[in-house]
Amino acid sequence: MNFETKTSGISDTPEAPDKASTTVERRSFLGVVIGGITSGIGAALALAIGRFTVEPALADSKTEQWVDAGQLTDIPEGKPVKRAMTIVQEVGWGRFHEPGSVWVIRNGEAITVFSAVCPHLGCSVNASAKGFICPCHQSSWDGAGAKTGGPTPRNMDTLEHRIENGALLVRYQSFKQGIAEKETV
Amino acid sequence: MMRAALEEPIRGGARWSYVFGSGLAFLVALQAITGIALSVYYVPSSDHAHASVAFIQKAVPAGALLRGLHHYGASAMVVLIVVHLAQVFLFGAYKTKRELIWVTGVVMLLITLAFAFTGYLLPWDQAAYFGTKVGTSVAGEIPIIGEIQRRIMLGGSELTTLTLSRFFTAHVFLFPVALLLLIVTHIFLFRRAGAAGPFHHREDHRVESFYPRQMLKDAVFMLALFVALAALALKWPADLGPQADPSSDYLARPPWYFLPLFQLLKYFPGQLSLIPTVLLPGALFAALFLLPFADRRAERHPFRRPIATGILALSLAGTVGLIALSKYEDRANKEFSTRFKEQEEASRAFLKSKFEPQVIGQVLAATPGVGVAPTSFGENCAVCHGDRGEGADSAPSLIGITNKPNRTPEDLLKILNDSRTYGLKEPMPASFDLSEDEKRQIVEWLKKLK
Ligand code: FES
Repeated sequence: MNFETKTSGISDTPEAPDKASTTVERRSFLGVVIGGITSGIGAALALAIGRFTVEPALADSKTEQWVDAGQLTDIPEGKPVKRAMTIVQEVGWGRFHEPGSVWVIRNGEAITVFSAVCPHLGCSVNASAKGFICPCHQSSWDGAGAKTGGPTPRNMDTLEHRIENGALLVRYQSFKQGIAEKETV
Repeated sequence: MMRAALEEPIRGGARWSYVFGSGLAFLVALQAITGIALSVYYVPSSDHAHASVAFIQKAVPAGALLRGLHHYGASAMVVLIVVHLAQVFLFGAYKTKRELIWVTGVVMLLITLAFAFTGYLLPWDQAAYFGTKVGTSVAGEIPIIGEIQRRIMLGGSELTTLTLSRFFTAHVFLFPVALLLLIVTHIFLFRRAGAAGPFHHREDHRVESFYPRQMLKDAVFMLALFVALAALALKWPADLGPQADPSSDYLARPPWYFLPLFQLLKYFPGQLSLIPTVLLPGALFAALFLLPFADRRAERHPFRRPIATGILALSLAGTVGLIALSKYEDRANKEFSTRFKEQEEASRAFLKSKFEPQVIGQVLAATPGVGVAPTSFGENCAVCHGDRGEGADSAPSLIGITNKPNRTPEDLLKILNDSRTYGLKEPMPASFDLSEDEKRQIVEWLKKLK
């Protein structure tokens, strides 16, 4: 077999100069069509995958809820106690029950509940001799949650609460970190 | 290199009949892209796989489309690879210098089937679980190595979460790498040998470059494939039945591309089942592998190779016939057809129902003022009495129980120890695995329920 090896256009017709230019035009037109088809498929897929991965990530998270923080009688007078609780988070395919905690201080009838999440970058706040301290970057607060030192941008975040059947119920929420105002996420 | 690819000479000029190879390359790319996207949410664990697939299918934007493309794309790959091989066979394009291209192609058919087999289990619904159970049992019937092979596939003696993990690993890591290497080899060899051209090229001496006319035909074919798959995915969403329940008596059928084998199994009972499960597929693939080395004549015209053409026609007709026969028999059998109808109904109902997130971690809801029940209550009692002891059809409410006659904490402890002799009308199941401490904790908690 002796094939011609010329590889541009259709080679079985001799190409006159004017014919050659129409061939080039035709080639570039077909090129545009090919480009249109492939980028069309690509765009459709990109759009679908974009929605698939991005939209759920931007949806509001639902962490806000009333949770049981235990019996009031178990909370001692005057010194901060950490109460463990179960936080329900709806994330993707699951409704996750995860451990959470808050700080509670009782002074007689008055009860204050603080989020245990540091307003700086989100470490867990510990109790200290003078109130509270965050071990990560040494932010500190007094017993009333007012800022006394360290990089924290604000006082400790208080949480709403109410008493029902002798139990302490807390409105669990998450707040934005690193800013001076207390804002829910 | 790009240029070389575009200028690739095509003997005899561009043709629609040459689009299948490119079509397959497109489908592989589409499977890879949609597969990677699905893995963003998919969880390869038997307790979350189904929930994560249901989430993708019902709740994530474009999830039904992407999963549908992947689901139907898999079937399209099986079809197209068979068409591609049949065409190469028919046109005699596996001859002279092209033997290895053919052999890599046949290996890719095997890998495609392996992809299909492993992918089928991943949603962990009834069809997936029971279909795979039957499929792996068939593999276990091979003499000598069968049982070992089955166990290695399953990751143990049973189909469990470990099976799911290793099917996932094979499906997303091993097979893709193997397929990629084979595709590269396939295309490299193909480029080196050049396209075979039409079988009657003696009369046709034209040579045309790949770009633009063949490339346009390929692109149009890809667009047709994409539109068809997307339409299927949106019109008939990919199946997803209720989560696998190993205790149920689900009537399993393999996916359509394994139906010929399944149908043959009916004709070869007992020891003879080795014929359709091992001998026949073994002989078929051995013949496919050896074909280019056994058939060394240069003749390529299908009509001048009546035996080869006849064999192809017969095996394709046989395959289609077996699939049709299996479908027909299932429909003709009263008992089966009602069962299948019920199962399809359940599947449709599940697919239509709203997405419900799976409950993870603490299942017990706390009663305000009482707190969460002890874990031992959740594990042993809540099934019948409810998370908060509120009761259900199968068991009475426990709220305020300690105020009732003969239900002091001491009585309750005795009931927990032995409900039968204590004289309950419908005694609780006797098989509690509770320590004395746990029993006391439960009773303490029950005292608070008011
Ligand atoms: S995170 Fe608490 S001080 Fe930085």
